[in-house]
Amino acid sequence: MSELSATVMNLPRRDAQDKLRGRTKYTNDRIRPDMLHAVLLRSTVPAGRIRKLDVSAALRCPGVRAVATGADAPGLYGIGIADHPLLAIDTIRYHGEPIAVVAAETEKQARAALAAIMLEVEPLAPVLTMADALQPGARLVHEGWRGYEVITEGGARAGNIAWEAKSSRGDVDAAFARPDIRIIESSFTVGRQSHVPFEPRVAIGSWEDGRAHIQTSTQVPWTVRNVTGRVMQLPPGRVRVTVPPVGGGFGLKFDASIEPITAVLARMTGRTVVLENTRQEEMATCLCRENAEIRIRSAVTAEGYIAGREAVVLMDCGAYGGEQVFLTTMTAHTLGGNYRVGATRLVSRAVYTNTPPNGAFRACNGVYNTFALERHTDEICDALGFDPMEFRKKNVLGDGDLGATGQVFEADVLGPMLDRMETLRASTGTSEAEADGRLYGIATTVGTWFVFVGPSAATVNLNADGSATLVTSGVEIGSGTMVQSLPQIVAGQLGLAPDQVIVREADTDAAGLDVGVGGGRTTVSIGAASVAACAEVREKLLRTAGEMLQTRPEDLVLRDGRVEIAGRPGSGISIPAVVAHAQATTGPVTGSGAFTARNTPAMSGCAMGHFIDALDIPVFVVHEAEVAVDPDTGHVEVLAYRVVQDVGRALNPRAVMGQIQGGVVQGLGYALHEEVTITADGRIAQDDFETYRLPLAQDVVPVAADLYEGAPSMGPLGTKGAGEVPILAVGAAIGCAVARAIGKPVRQLPLTPPRVLRLLHEREPPPEFPHIAHGWASNTLG
Amino acid sequence: MTVTFQLNGEDCRFDGDPMTPLVDILRQERFLTGTKAVCREGFCGACTVHVDDEAVPSCLKPVGLVQGCAVTTIEGLSFGSQALHPLQANFEAVDAVQCGMCFPGMVMSLSAFVRDNPHASRPEIKAAMAGNICRCTGYERIVDAVADCLDQARKAGQLVGGIHV
Repeated sequence: MSELSATVMNLPRRDAQDKLRGRTKYTNDRIRPDMLHAVLLRSTVPAGRIRKLDVSAALRCPGVRAVATGADAPGLYGIGIADHPLLAIDTIRYHGEPIAVVAAETEKQARAALAAIMLEVEPLAPVLTMADALQPGARLVHEGWRGYEVITEGGARAGNIAWEAKSSRGDVDAAFARPDIRIIESSFTVGRQSHVPFEPRVAIGSWEDGRAHIQTSTQVPWTVRNVTGRVMQLPPGRVRVTVPPVGGGFGLKFDASIEPITAVLARMTGRTVVLENTRQEEMATCLCRENAEIRIRSAVTAEGYIAGREAVVLMDCGAYGGEQVFLTTMTAHTLGGNYRVGATRLVSRAVYTNTPPNGAFRACNGVYNTFALERHTDEICDALGFDPMEFRKKNVLGDGDLGATGQVFEADVLGPMLDRMETLRASTGTSEAEADGRLYGIATTVGTWFVFVGPSAATVNLNADGSATLVTSGVEIGSGTMVQSLPQIVAGQLGLAPDQVIVREADTDAAGLDVGVGGGRTTVSIGAASVAACAEVREKLLRTAGEMLQTRPEDLVLRDGRVEIAGRPGSGISIPAVVAHAQATTGPVTGSGAFTARNTPAMSGCAMGHFIDALDIPVFVVHEAEVAVDPDTGHVEVLAYRVVQDVGRALNPRAVMGQIQGGVVQGLGYALHEEVTITADGRIAQDDFETYRLPLAQDVVPVAADLYEGAPSMGPLGTKGAGEVPILAVGAAIGCAVARAIGKPVRQLPLTPPRVLRLLHEREPPPEFPHIAHGWASNTLG
Repeated sequence: MTVTFQLNGEDCRFDGDPMTPLVDILRQERFLTGTKAVCREGFCGACTVHVDDEAVPSCLKPVGLVQGCAVTTIEGLSFGSQALHPLQANFEAVDAVQCGMCFPGMVMSLSAFVRDNPHASRPEIKAAMAGNICRCTGYERIVDAVADCLDQARKAGQLVGGIHV
């Protein structure tokens, strides 16, 4: 297919030179001397009532131009439920929560003025853990939860349960009552993961002709626009968001947080205002991957058939619902993925606590549910004497199998991918010899993820110089979509070279709605909208050229910058000549395109409280890790790592390989040493680079990867998102490999040396969840 | 107090607190924003500059300590349309860059390293990167590019980075 051959290539990044020379201007490089600097007054208690908040003295401090409080932006925002104020109103729900903000001529003046704000808080006993929050009679983190605006209907809610999603298919009670099954139960617990993008959350706000303009480091310009409108009680159309290159996101910037504050201050002062989190603020209020607690039970026959499965997943959303409300949906597709199961029921609950709110992080929810599911699978194999690889081959989802919500999966994908892993291993060899006397383990695990499709829009303007301008709300966060896959797609559609495709950076005034850059969706969704826009452009171009060449449009093709007569290379006329003719006769050549989810059906009644009932584009991975564990220190060394990834179609294989290496390494950090803990006063204890241990060059190995192409996808040219999923099964592969190395069950991540030593010496207590009832139904709101 | 030093080959004068971190002067007063202030504690390496040809984190360098020194930032490594440093060219060639924020510091650290260690092995390259964190790439391509760069220089019989200020 020529369209495909014109699109697939290892296109280099057009932004690499400037990034390497330090010339790229990220948002926080755009601070100018005439801007006001904003600094936040943040809570120093995890829970309390604001008894007094008087900013009048701060307003009189040198250089201060404005002070804002919750009263200046009273609207609430959220995903699913509007529960989140921009600045605390009456109630403090987490340590670090913004209460007031000062804008002054210099950052130093703004900081000095913070001390002049009179704040009296009556502390309340904080609810710090999900166990505390689910105690009968627990203090409510949100006393007024019943009164919140529900933005998306359908989830069950009560008290400290911000949202509950359930899936139920088949007769699970009957499956567990079968005489020929054994029941295996496992419990897992995982901590938070901090994204640590090198550019922190930062925004520059101005007030222009009665509208807000926010330049910001975000993955979701339309969310920032809409949230700013909500909290300022303005029509969202009075907010414009533009996005410079983003210095890393990983999901942290998939929600609005501090950006609207700059608009509030800009309106108050008429000045441009910058607000940038310090590194300490960034880490102390990081919208982390949530900590979670998982109990999973399976009924398995002696032949290895999984007759029934049920699970309870508790997700700590922190002080506000945020992304976790949505992510409760994902349990059905992640914990409910991977394997063919007779009957299943899963409940996933987002639980309020007085801790910093959590958010989205690359393969959200999937990372720990895959860890839990894969370790549970190994525990099944241990208990029933199955070979773990054979058990997986026998039970992975295949063509026609049902997911947890009754979705019918198409095609055998995971099975052939497991075979490909064996081929890959045969080609690389294994590294057992490098264990050198340490405890050696190897594990192969599988994972199920998806492409978060949803609405995208694109406009393509074809210019008289033969270039095309692509206008979308896409953002370049580092993954390369805006500089590699999208120009490749447009060029392939229009017979241009990729460097002739100009990609406009996101501007909500210029481009249509977009859900944002996340969920592996940009190449698929913006790519599909771009293909649709190109179709309109091509139709206009061929019609005009047909008139000029006296040839039927259907006999013409676009190739190498020309409109050619099919089968006659070099014939016809150059695209610039056609565009110039069109401009003079029918007008400029433009096209617009739109795309959204097709909403693949679930089985009626199987999904409750879900934002997505079924996956439009499932994505699968097979990950294999080899580890050596030092029995004296508990240190885990990763000896080798292999990936087979379902990419649909790799448009830029080299860039995909780069995403796999980077994603796996983030997963290694999560699995082994990135640890977030909450102090007794509700703080994130690891709020700097000394205490939060990121992967370094010496921690990593080159990942051997095989790209599995050809699985069904509605994405343009058969693509699936490739950047999100590489982190999915790393916790699983490492957890399973370490468990096999040490011969003890691994039920918690990260596997820091002290934890591994405790496991080795049987001093690590297994997770106990007294707040998860024994009967599955007792863990639901009915 | 007044501090004078050379900045990218030109005289630079700073009047103020000599304890001011060099990175703040570079970014806030000279608008040399290629030097990134990420952790401000010396762990990440994104603010690395050369002071008298040695790679140092500019967040930990009070400006008073660069009195009389020659400071080179990423912007000074190759001006205008001058060719990229061989390391930069190799990073570009292997598609190593993602978000890009660590790279100016990575280039400044490693350009000093390859100049001084023309025969470095892969483990030595990784050890030299211990003070430069990258959150996107998983490092291996960066290591590949440094190794390629050293190979090319050895084959050409040159020291890497002979061109830099």
